[in-house]
Amino acid sequence: MHIPDGILPAPACIGGYALTGLATWYSLRQINRRPTPTEDMPKAALLTAAFFVASSIHLPIPPASVHLVLNGLLGVVLGYYAFPAILIGLFFQAVMFGHGGLTTLGVNAAMMGIPALLAYHLFLWHSRLQRSLPQKLPQKWVMPLFAFLAGAFGLGLAALIFFTLIITTIPSGFNVATEQTAVTGLSIAHIPLILIEGIFTAMLVSFLQRVKPELLKG
Amino acid sequence: MKLDLDEYAYLDSPIHRWEPRCKLVGLMALVFAFASIEDLRLAPVMVGMTVLLYAASRLPVSFWLRRIRYPGYFLLGIVVLLPVLSGETVVWQWGWLALRREGLLAVVLITSRFVSILTVGFVLFGTTPFLITVRAMRSLGLPAILADMLLLSYRYLFEIAGNLAQMQRSMRLRGFQSRGNRWLIPNWQDLNRLASLSGTLFIRSYEQAERIYKAMRLRGYGAQTRAIAPIHRAKTPANQLWSGVGLAIALIVAISFAVAEVVV
Repeated sequence: MHIPDGILPAPACIGGYALTGLATWYSLRQINRRPTPTEDMPKAALLTAAFFVASSIHLPIPPASVHLVLNGLLGVVLGYYAFPAILIGLFFQAVMFGHGGLTTLGVNAAMMGIPALLAYHLFLWHSRLQRSLPQKLPQKWVMPLFAFLAGAFGLGLAALIFFTLIITTIPSGFNVATEQTAVTGLSIAHIPLILIEGIFTAMLVSFLQRVKPELLKG
Repeated sequence: MKLDLDEYAYLDSPIHRWEPRCKLVGLMALVFAFASIEDLRLAPVMVGMTVLLYAASRLPVSFWLRRIRYPGYFLLGIVVLLPVLSGETVVWQWGWLALRREGLLAVVLITSRFVSILTVGFVLFGTTPFLITVRAMRSLGLPAILADMLLLSYRYLFEIAGNLAQMQRSMRLRGFQSRGNRWLIPNWQDLNRLASLSGTLFIRSYEQAERIYKAMRLRGYGAQTRAIAPIHRAKTPANQLWSGVGLAIALIVAISFAVAEVVV
């Protein structure tokens, strides 16, 4: 789900780079506020590579198989490092496989990365919810629930942006109403994928919670 | 699939000798100029320039073919319906299937932009060792954290991919195979196992990163702000001259495309 080179008009590409620059600046500012900003850098770098590799795992959904986007999960695990991680992952995909593109790197990174940052904040609400409730719910259920929401929201928002961009910029000569119907239709068709992404994120977070809870600190 | 970005970076050509920062700025300007082309009459000029550039870089044609194939299919998937759906003038009709002129022209324009931009990208990253490219980006203002992350993830990417392949192989040897028998309904147990597989991959990478960070600290990483390592400079005066001239040519070509787009 990346926009290739040559499809978007130049102003959209430049706008994408501007948005990505802004989001990167914001993320790096949040990272540099930490007492030791370089401490988490190697973890973020290796997890970037691991996410890049893991997104090649195919889930069997007969008769086909789907591969995951994992941008919501990236937000959950990497926190503010998620945006730089997505930028780097997409850069590799563009220069190694030609998946995505150099001119559309900004647009793609913003499309995947901003939902990931939002998913991170959505996931953090699990602790806020726990604090506001008089009686604590079992953490075993609350964390995966919020992970599901983060995973589904991350992919859902990215898919919505993707279809809107593709359909409104390709010179198809359709009128606005047809384009709106197409965007809505394609997004609805993706709801099963969004649910599967959410469920997979929840399963993974529940696994990490049992085996290595440090990874979920953001 | 072969992943090496810079397997032909050792060749010798004017493009290889071009100073990395000048190359990065010049070719990126060219790529954006290509992206801004909307007029079909400029497309042959763009493709011509790209062919010249690729020929000057002396990269083998097989390198291009290998790399264009996969993204090519992807683009095809996006534009294949355009000639059927878009436009009014019917060029060719067979039953209900009609090819329309406007849609066809849009496909030609999008495809030539796509191929040209991708090819310039291959030249940019195929003629410089990746480490030098990152250094050039760093000295052009890429933040230190991003540059370090870029290098570290590039360094460990292949290793982690090998790790995953190994884990998948051992899963198969222990009898794992996905048994999806009902259509459109995933097997939840299998999904859970694949989630554990990915989780294990993340944990392994995380623990390796902790060891790497300790090793980096022992070697003095993060102790002081580092000066940016100097880029391997163009040594001879002729090379320096060429680097400047090359940048000027690239910028002029890029600007002329932008101007032509407005004027024509």
